[in-house]
Amino acid sequence: MALTEPQSRNLNLLASSPQLPSVKACCHTTTDAGAGPEAPVVALVGAPNTGKSTLFNALTGARVTMGNWPGTTVEVSRGVWKATRSAASCTCAECTCDPDEKRLELTLIDLPGAYSLDPHSPDEDLTRELLVGVPVAERPDLCVVACDASRLANSLYLVAQLREQGVAMLVALTMLDVAAKRGVQIDTVALSAALGCPVIGIDPRRRAGLEALAGAVGEALGEAAPTPRRRPDTSDELELDDDRFGWIAAAVEAGTSAPSEQPRTWSDRVDRWVTAPVLGPLIFLGVMWMVFQITTVVAAPLQDLLDGLFTGPVSAGATWLLGAIGLGGTWVEGLVVDGLIAGVGMLLTFVPLMTLMFVLLALLEDSGYLARAAVVADRLMRSIGLPGRAFLPLIVGFGCNVPAISATRILPGARQRVLTALLVPFTSCTARLTVFVMLGTIFFGEYAGTAVFVMYVISIHLVVLAGLVLRRTLWRTMGTEPLIIDLPAYQRPTLRLTASVAWLRLKGFLQTASGIIVATVAAVWLLQSIPVQAGEAFGEVPVQDSVYGVAAQAVAPVFAPAGFGSWETASTLAVGFVAKEAVISSWAQTYAVADPDGGAPGALGTAVLNSFTESSGGHPVPAALAFMVFLLAYTPCVATVAAQWREIGPRWTLFGIGMQLVTAWVLAVAVFQVGRLFW
Amino acid sequence: MRALLDKATLTHMYVGMDLASAPLHTSLTLLEADAPQSSRQRLASLGLRVGTRFTLLQKTAGGGRVALVGGSRIALGAQLLRQLRAEVVR
Repeated sequence: MALTEPQSRNLNLLASSPQLPSVKACCHTTTDAGAGPEAPVVALVGAPNTGKSTLFNALTGARVTMGNWPGTTVEVSRGVWKATRSAASCTCAECTCDPDEKRLELTLIDLPGAYSLDPHSPDEDLTRELLVGVPVAERPDLCVVACDASRLANSLYLVAQLREQGVAMLVALTMLDVAAKRGVQIDTVALSAALGCPVIGIDPRRRAGLEALAGAVGEALGEAAPTPRRRPDTSDELELDDDRFGWIAAAVEAGTSAPSEQPRTWSDRVDRWVTAPVLGPLIFLGVMWMVFQITTVVAAPLQDLLDGLFTGPVSAGATWLLGAIGLGGTWVEGLVVDGLIAGVGMLLTFVPLMTLMFVLLALLEDSGYLARAAVVADRLMRSIGLPGRAFLPLIVGFGCNVPAISATRILPGARQRVLTALLVPFTSCTARLTVFVMLGTIFFGEYAGTAVFVMYVISIHLVVLAGLVLRRTLWRTMGTEPLIIDLPAYQRPTLRLTASVAWLRLKGFLQTASGIIVATVAAVWLLQSIPVQAGEAFGEVPVQDSVYGVAAQAVAPVFAPAGFGSWETASTLAVGFVAKEAVISSWAQTYAVADPDGGAPGALGTAVLNSFTESSGGHPVPAALAFMVFLLAYTPCVATVAAQWREIGPRWTLFGIGMQLVTAWVLAVAVFQVGRLFW
Repeated sequence: MRALLDKATLTHMYVGMDLASAPLHTSLTLLEADAPQSSRQRLASLGLRVGTRFTLLQKTAGGGRVALVGGSRIALGAQLLRQLRAEVVR
């Protein structure tokens, strides 16, 4: 929806001139906006919480591609902005322009939020580098600076610095409705004159004003970069700051009018409860509980449904089809049914979970609550070097590690994201719970519940201890920065924005994770199908005689000090790398037990008990406990690895896998060696 | 006790206090920021500099405060409050 003149007034724009100063050209003065590498590059910059990403999504829609910027884990979004300039942006007396000529096709890049060009984090460093650090020829053709109209002065520091650099720029004013509620009125004409660059009022959440923005961008691209704003001839930062703030104050005074007393907003009233010393943490825990419940309880039946669909009708259909064309019972059937369909099916069972997670995240972000959650949990999380909002992914991890890894995106700093993504695998997900319940029932009888509870307690301690160790070794300075958070006004989340953000994140997850998950599941099937001895057919070999089984037998002695050095148990750990849910079915397959669910300690339970008794030299209970601890601490599943790969890159992912394996082995050995003294 | 103190005494008491002991809902002027350079820069880019007028709106969990600076609400951690000194605007 275009921002028409009456709407401009609704958004408290004092458009005293019939036309915004930045929009004065005819459509014919279009720039070379062809598709591909020749298309102009427009960078979207601005302080965090100014609606920058919302604007990016509104402008690029589903044409976004996401990727890790080389050398950092900071994500820079890049998309194609196909815009049509409004007739209002044309100065023809009666616009007769060819509609095709009104179209703009631009490359839009969304840079990490930055308050200034003085970087305080890798994110801000990247923004500075791309805007003014690289050679002029490699810089964006134009910067659109998103500025929050409700707190304009704070958004203009970056504008002041960019003006000093002579960067071609345009200011997009967001949050005009919030400003209006606070009694702030903005004269874009006067503000534009004071800032020395075009100023456009927009509402990206409702997609208003985007055509006017496109017109202004098209016009600005056709003009030469402005002369840099003169600054004092000094290197004294304080003096430079004084000059900038004086310039900002003059611009704000010229372009805005605000009541002398700031009225109490309803955001303030909500914050009285939400960030309050006692009630705030309780509300925070309630919200976290809700997120945890929704991502587990609501998603679980949908996951089961999809799982049943793939293991049932889809697999049966494929088996029938392969049989009909003469491939039934061959290795092709094994590859298709047990490899590809199982792999794709597993990936798709995560879709409901991830969708719910991303929707909830988008809602929390869009509403403004996440900033409050960060304040409330800050002191607790700071003890392990993380900001308050890191609590959310860690809580989600107790449901499923995969969305929890993706949830680390809410963290502002790259190092914080890496550390949190390394800690999430130590949170005990529900997939591990199924194995804990089974082993608890077999080995601890009526105390099974206590044994499972102990696993959760160990899980929490692992998160804290690993956080402390990593902070004191790898990132000693992290977490020492004091809490300074700009609290945005609460907003009612919009359906379109929530759906758009959730879809983009889900798509990104599927694109990255699908290849890794399907390839790994297929690889495990392949290893289980290849015989090591002559005389056995490919795809029809018992597990212990396959490459997989022989490898498990070779690795099994490594676990002997932990009391579970049998190949049957060691092989389940390899299967558990793919998915913890597969541990029980792997045991069932290995012991040739009919019921693969393993929920009750029947024949399967007896077989497992005997195996642990034998491998532990008569100490099955500490051996089972050690196995449970190992299961808790080592790599959760291949989907988690895929999510880590996407979020923190291969180097940290491999580091995490190594760290978890070492931690798991050391703890398991310690538990068994100490435990055997008592049991 | 407080009711017995006159306005002049209260004003004198509040001169040059750190933000942890500054009153809520009272117009304050920042006198000194004895914080690391990075924190001072971050505060400055959010509009809170020496000489800026602001108001503390409320206490937060963890011992921090929410400050109203210009049109912005900025949450400040407990540790930082002790590094910032302000006086009541007379």
